[in-house]
Amino acid sequence: MRLKLLSLRPRSLAARTAFVLVVGIGVAQVVGLTTHETEQVSLEQEALYRAAALRLGAAYRSVVRAGPAGRVAVVDEFDGRDGLRLHLDSVPESGGWPPLAAATQRMFRRQMAMVPVPVTDSPHAVLTYGNGAHRLVAAARLPDGLWLDAEFEILPLRPWRSLNTLSVFLMLTAVTAMLTWWAARRLIAPVGTLAAAADALGRDMNAPPLPESGAAELVTAARAFNTMAERLRRFVQDRTFMLLAISHDLRTPITRLKLRAEFLEDEELRGKVLADLDDMERMVAAVLAFGRGSEDEEATTTVDLAELARTVLDEAADARPDGAAGLHYVGFDHLPARVRLLAMKRALSNLVMNALAYGGNATVRVLPPAEGRIVIEVDDEGPGIPESHLESVFQPFRRLEGSRNRETGGVGLGLSIVRNIVRAHGGDVTLENRAEGGLRVRLVLPA
Amino acid sequence: MENDIVNGRAPSLLVVDDDRETRELLQRFLERAGFAVTTAADAGQARQFWQPGRYRLVILDLMLPGESGFDFARWLRGQSDVPIVMLTAMGEPSERVAGLELGADDYVPKPFNPRELLARVRAVLRRTGNGSAPSRGAPKAFCFSGWTLDLARRRLLDAEAVEVPLTGGEFDLLFALADRAQQVLTREALHDLLRGRSAGPFDRAIDVAVSRLRRKLEDNGRRSHLIKTVRGGGYVLASEVERS
Repeated sequence: MRLKLLSLRPRSLAARTAFVLVVGIGVAQVVGLTTHETEQVSLEQEALYRAAALRLGAAYRSVVRAGPAGRVAVVDEFDGRDGLRLHLDSVPESGGWPPLAAATQRMFRRQMAMVPVPVTDSPHAVLTYGNGAHRLVAAARLPDGLWLDAEFEILPLRPWRSLNTLSVFLMLTAVTAMLTWWAARRLIAPVGTLAAAADALGRDMNAPPLPESGAAELVTAARAFNTMAERLRRFVQDRTFMLLAISHDLRTPITRLKLRAEFLEDEELRGKVLADLDDMERMVAAVLAFGRGSEDEEATTTVDLAELARTVLDEAADARPDGAAGLHYVGFDHLPARVRLLAMKRALSNLVMNALAYGGNATVRVLPPAEGRIVIEVDDEGPGIPESHLESVFQPFRRLEGSRNRETGGVGLGLSIVRNIVRAHGGDVTLENRAEGGLRVRLVLPA
Repeated sequence: MENDIVNGRAPSLLVVDDDRETRELLQRFLERAGFAVTTAADAGQARQFWQPGRYRLVILDLMLPGESGFDFARWLRGQSDVPIVMLTAMGEPSERVAGLELGADDYVPKPFNPRELLARVRAVLRRTGNGSAPSRGAPKAFCFSGWTLDLARRRLLDAEAVEVPLTGGEFDLLFALADRAQQVLTREALHDLLRGRSAGPFDRAIDVAVSRLRRKLEDNGRRSHLIKTVRGGGYVLASEVERS
């Protein structure tokens, strides 16, 4: 996200906000500093003009005092000192420059008058010319009508001369950018929280609600989100209850049908009817197991997990003799653990039957307990599951596209049941596609 | 049972189930299998029909209107040691355990496979002995070579009390072998016990079940040949069995 800042159009909302703010503040700073610099330059220029006016005033006084006889010598003395050129002339010398602004001319005259001269000797006129930058030409008329022409060399004044200004600008910009980035991220953070909550809800219907706190808008959004989550939960719950009720009631007609089937003369037909009824029974059993969930009061006992895994494989081999050759157990001969036997057996059985149905084989691996955890892996060599579905297949009634057929059977509860059972044991279950191909289901249980 | 048939008297069963259709179908099915069947719709009716010594076995649905199957089973146990096969609701393991601890001899989850029910009924009858031999004082557990076969809860525990999972068929097989320890049981006799339990040709099914049992019992190495194969087709549990 931070790298994206470098691109012209940042992707994240925080980066975009920060970008706009930083650019805006930067522009404002440039304008402000430019104004300041220009002001500075005109102030300095005024100071230079004042200094020039004082010098001309001083020269004028000396020239007037020296009288017509000595003034040439005085002019010579002043001429050429510190960039001042001074001479006497019958006409005011403009040097080809335009006259200065009236206000500047007035200022100049006032400043010149700061050097006290007897009223009778004061200049009869002062004319000033210049380009406002590096040249100032001034002429003061002596009482006898002669002009004292002066030409000052003025150091060129440019804004941005000082490095100070630049470093201050950079520092200010950097600090502002950092603060803005921080503030923008803080401001935008609730959007991320909302997204994370939506994502969590997708994974787990019973994810904790969003905290309804903070700014008013955030509270409203959080409340709306929690209401939506609650409605979704109720929707799923209602559907589950309905299925549970149907499944409960189906047990009786299935029992009757199984009994009726026993009176069928046609053996082939009887076999097929019973097989269909077994399928129905499996689906009903899956729904009931899912519905029971955590209300199950089965007691925890110490069970040999390794033997449990092998028993599950044995039963899978009996149920699917054609797939028996693809069933393997790898790992310990014995591994005692505290579990609910029937629940854990159902979980493992669901996983092995899934692996058989989708992958055609199943390898159950009981890994050495480490760090207080027992890990059981169930691998198959099937096509695996697209990465984007690795999480969603745990959702109740969720099945991958095209799998709703007789071959694989089921109602889409197998993995939900497994997860409920494993989580009730304080563990968790995850899926991954193996590098060698096929799916790996990993059960982690507290040892 | 065989004695009854020889005597021309069908063994009598009491079926208690609240669903009329199921009741009637069960009656037809079991009568066809050679039993005399009396049916009752609820605990009250079952109590009316109850006469000590009249029934060889009771098939009892736990989900009854009014008085529950549990209560009736408790009452029944107070009266007699007649074997009880319970029909439990599928998906209620706690019901199963409670039923077994109450003294039921076996359970079949509903919806049940009729042939499996028949096999269980026959197995229980065989287990509880011919005639109406009372099961009072019947062992709660078999102990042999460090193993404990818990009959009430149908489970196998090793020397450290770790439960070794058994399938229903494996339990019945081990029960039969332990009940007749040091006696040879033919494949045919064992097959009767496993009927309705597993698919496939029964000789192979029994051999497979025995090999799995051996794995579960003997793979410690030291205890090999606990279940011995007898030349001529049969198996024997070669160990002292202590009943408790």
